[in-house]
Amino acid sequence: MKFLVTKDLAHSRLLAYLMGSVIFAILLYLGLDVVLHGYVIGWDIEGINNTLFGNTETFEEPVLIDSLLLQVHIDLFMTIFALLILSSIYIRLHDKTGTVKWVLHILFTVGLLAPLSLLLAYFWSEAFVWVWVAAFLLWHLLAVIIALSLFPRLNFR
Amino acid sequence: MKKLSFFHIPIAYLLLYTVLLLGSGLWLFLLSQGLASSEGIAATLEKIILTPEPKSMHNFVEVATPHMFAMGSLVFVVAHFMLFSTKISQKISLIVSMILFAFFLFNIFSYGLISFEILSSGWIKLLSMLLFTGMFLLLLFMVGVSL
Repeated sequence: MKFLVTKDLAHSRLLAYLMGSVIFAILLYLGLDVVLHGYVIGWDIEGINNTLFGNTETFEEPVLIDSLLLQVHIDLFMTIFALLILSSIYIRLHDKTGTVKWVLHILFTVGLLAPLSLLLAYFWSEAFVWVWVAAFLLWHLLAVIIALSLFPRLNFR
Repeated sequence: MKKLSFFHIPIAYLLLYTVLLLGSGLWLFLLSQGLASSEGIAATLEKIILTPEPKSMHNFVEVATPHMFAMGSLVFVVAHFMLFSTKISQKISLIVSMILFAFFLFNIFSYGLISFEILSSGWIKLLSMLLFTGMFLLLLFMVGVSL
């Protein structure tokens, strides 16, 4: 992320538009990621439980560990890249240094907790389904808020 | 300049996420070789060496294609932080990064040797995974030390 901290580019119009575009793309990604997980994992607690543990009444089989682990593997990759780009721009554009530190810690920790809680729910306890829902929605919401907070700080002149 | 110290936070989390990515990747590979139905990791490793799961050209390309992009870009992103290291020389960083890139390609194409029946044993895949994972952990350690 050397390019984003180079002082000479502080007033670059090109960089402002590029950062605006990538933030816009990340916003679209965040929205679609929620929809994708709704389709793959489930839209509500009952649906998620059915996906993870199956349902004897409706003859649904639980998801195979191969498929679940592949989803977690992909989620880890996508999350770290999205958060790395977003956090680099966030650090560059925000002045409230005390808040920045805690926002970053919460964002990355919750982003990590989401895929891990999916595995914990599968192997350990159904209660982690709630943790996954909370963590997944929280990191997406926080990332959206951060992304939206960056737009007014971009110098589009 | 005070703000620049905050870049340590995403970099530190990148290292953590990468370790988990490597772990889940190894686990996925062992599952694809029958870990769930065998009697443990040792039995699965033995099975990989003696009779690796057959993979068609379609299976090989399906796995290799996303990994070519994902592993290439991940190695690049992690390794480029060594540009800013004041504790480890650029020469050592260059050697480690290039060896890691070579091992990453070796790791991806090693299963191709089995798919194309050039080798019947899976030892080469295990060796390539061991080398790639070990070298990646070394690079992560170097970035961590430089933070």
